[in-house]
Amino acid sequence: MLSRIAESVYWMSRFLERTDNTARLLDINLTHLLEADEAGSEELQWAPLLHIVAGNEVYQRIFPDGAVTGARMIRYMVQEKGNSGSIYAALKGARENARVARDRVSKEMWEALNEFWLQVDGHVTHRLSPERESVFFKHVRAEVARFHGLTVSTMLRGDAFSFYLLGTFLERADMTARILDVKYHRLLPDVAQVGSPLDYYQWGALLKSLSGFEAYRRHYHGGIRPLDVVDLVVFSRHFPRSLHFAVDRMTQAIQEIGTSQVDCAVCRALEGLSALLTARAPEEVVREGLHEFLTDYLDQLSTLHASLQNEYFEAHLGMEQCVI
Amino acid sequence: MFAGLQSPAPARAMPYHEFYLDDFQPRDHYRPLWEHIRRAGQNLLAEKARDAHLALHTEGVTFTVYNDSEEGIERVWPFDLLPRIIPAREWDLLEAGLRQRIRALNLFLKDIYHGQRIIKDGVIPAELIYKGKDFQRHVLDVDPPHDIYTHISGVDLIRDIEGRYLVLEDNLRTPSGVSYMIENRIVERRILPEFFAHYRVRRVEHYPDLLLKALRHLSPRGADAAEIVVLTPGIYNSAYFEHTFLAKEMGVELAEGRDLVVKNNVVHLKTTRGLKRVDVVYRRVDDEFLDPLCFRADSALGVAGIMNAWRAGNVALVNAPGAGIADDKAVYAYVPEIIRYYLGETPILANVPTYQMTDPHDRELVLSQLEGMVVKAVAESGGYGMLMGPASTPEQRRDFTRRINEDPRNYIAQPVVPLSRHVCYLDGELESRHLDLRPFIIYGEDIDVVPGGLTRVAMTKGSLVVNSSQGGGSKDTWVLAD
Repeated sequence: MLSRIAESVYWMSRFLERTDNTARLLDINLTHLLEADEAGSEELQWAPLLHIVAGNEVYQRIFPDGAVTGARMIRYMVQEKGNSGSIYAALKGARENARVARDRVSKEMWEALNEFWLQVDGHVTHRLSPERESVFFKHVRAEVARFHGLTVSTMLRGDAFSFYLLGTFLERADMTARILDVKYHRLLPDVAQVGSPLDYYQWGALLKSLSGFEAYRRHYHGGIRPLDVVDLVVFSRHFPRSLHFAVDRMTQAIQEIGTSQVDCAVCRALEGLSALLTARAPEEVVREGLHEFLTDYLDQLSTLHASLQNEYFEAHLGMEQCVI
Repeated sequence: MFAGLQSPAPARAMPYHEFYLDDFQPRDHYRPLWEHIRRAGQNLLAEKARDAHLALHTEGVTFTVYNDSEEGIERVWPFDLLPRIIPAREWDLLEAGLRQRIRALNLFLKDIYHGQRIIKDGVIPAELIYKGKDFQRHVLDVDPPHDIYTHISGVDLIRDIEGRYLVLEDNLRTPSGVSYMIENRIVERRILPEFFAHYRVRRVEHYPDLLLKALRHLSPRGADAAEIVVLTPGIYNSAYFEHTFLAKEMGVELAEGRDLVVKNNVVHLKTTRGLKRVDVVYRRVDDEFLDPLCFRADSALGVAGIMNAWRAGNVALVNAPGAGIADDKAVYAYVPEIIRYYLGETPILANVPTYQMTDPHDRELVLSQLEGMVVKAVAESGGYGMLMGPASTPEQRRDFTRRINEDPRNYIAQPVVPLSRHVCYLDGELESRHLDLRPFIIYGEDIDVVPGGLTRVAMTKGSLVVNSSQGGGSKDTWVLAD
């Protein structure tokens, strides 16, 4: 398929996944605030979110005093046009890319996405009232789920579908790794608190933000234990938001697409990610440092993105130079 | 050739009404529709109008209006519920007239870019051609596949006060609107299926199939090996919806200039699996942006070297470069002569009387009666660069007088023809508005005219400007089977 269109399909699904992830994070954070009232200042509650979405720099530009409040964070992550991860901007990006690739997405997919965009575009001009927030986030998540469902049931299986999978799972893996990292690294600096009620709520919130609470309960019977959470979220090959699941899906997608390169950097990046996940057990990873492990994983994800860019999206640009 | 031109029609003359007879009875072919509307009642119509708008909105049937922002504004395609109905007999005449016109214009293009007999025989002044912005020297002596230049044309028709169809202008470069013609039909069928029960309406939805067949016919490697692309300027172009629509309906790639590369005079697509040869480019990019090596060097929309590939016969370009000279508004006045000259036939469809501003006598006449004239810049389209006499201010008229005197070749003038009217459903009322008609003609192995076209409506009361970029609307257009 056309390189530019492949890139658009890829970004369409990345932006859509981002929309979904942002809505999840906000929704769970709001619920979590209600559940755990002893959890400290407003700033302490919301600042980790900013860290997860790597938004500190842009946030500073928009709110120069740097103070983090719930109302500001909601605005920043829902409506802010200058924040490419806000629901508004990400959905706009998804729709714009779908428009570019409109001859590749099915009519059903396009209409669902366009309708979704029109609703959010209408919403974004006025402030989201606190009692509407949760309803709005659920709506966003339902719309993304509808889009995925329509995609699976109407999109021709071919290269475009594979690029859709690559975008979805790369973005999802990225977000899962960040959520886990922030939780582990920043929320709980005090090891003594492990096992406290606060800890229960926080790990619970993490699992819920990944739609994994029920799956966790079904498979692990020792209560909420960080090691088991890591096992599910990082290593499980059956949990659809785990790091390993994402790597498996991306590997399959690349095999479907095939490569004309003798030395396939995309394949190497995927092999690297896979090796990271199969070489060690959860205990080992936690002992040696989950943060270092996740940093490694995130780095390799960005290598994967760069090599996709290089091998599929910008292929043959060199030749154009020769002709002119 | 302008002898016998009448002075502008007096403003009091009533324009032709498509729907009503003089006594406000519907014309025969509108009677079943009229009865149905009366039975349906206002509430049902209001609901249907809302449904139609919502359907177009959700589906993303849009066009873009250029404004100061870089992106332009994406608007939902404006659609009026009540169809325009054209009886079979009337259509037969239109179809014959359109075929004749396109055949003649195509012969004219071939001649202009080869022997130029028509100039040597003194039928058209050489200056008119050579000074035309769309006359392309790069095209001289090139033989496009099957000698076809005007593969896809849209001809704008209006009706005078007697109801006679007149050609207002020819669009032979990249006429748009065909996707909206089809979308109008799809929406109408879905929202008002019961309307169709009373009529035998000829279908228009097979247009993309006809187009694909015509494009395949042009492939230098033969119809069976035709790799076809639609070339678009991108998502900010006003007709981007149409470009995606056509690519999707035909199942071909929608490419931008940066997706194509020319190697050894052969055009290739940049795909995820490497380069892929292209045989036919249905380009929706104007000549001047098509190839930075030939035309505007600063254009990023085109493909460097595509003109050489075309000249070498390795790719078909649709429409052919240089075809725009035949729809130049100054050449337009000569089309009846062009038909007589190449075909030896009497023109079936007449032109709107047109004054050449290069002719001192015409110019004086026009400048003395600007209020009754429409003045058009020959190189503009889409309703830009126009003076609508009756609606103009003295200042605008002074401005156009100056512009005409400075560059007469760049302007033509026509007496204001009061376009025919039709009832529209507007904000709960049935009201009459002016409209025109753009049928589409495909020139491939044969010449096909799809029975229908895009009816554009001036939504503002009394206005004669129907362009969607100027706030116009549209109607589904029904050609009856008999």
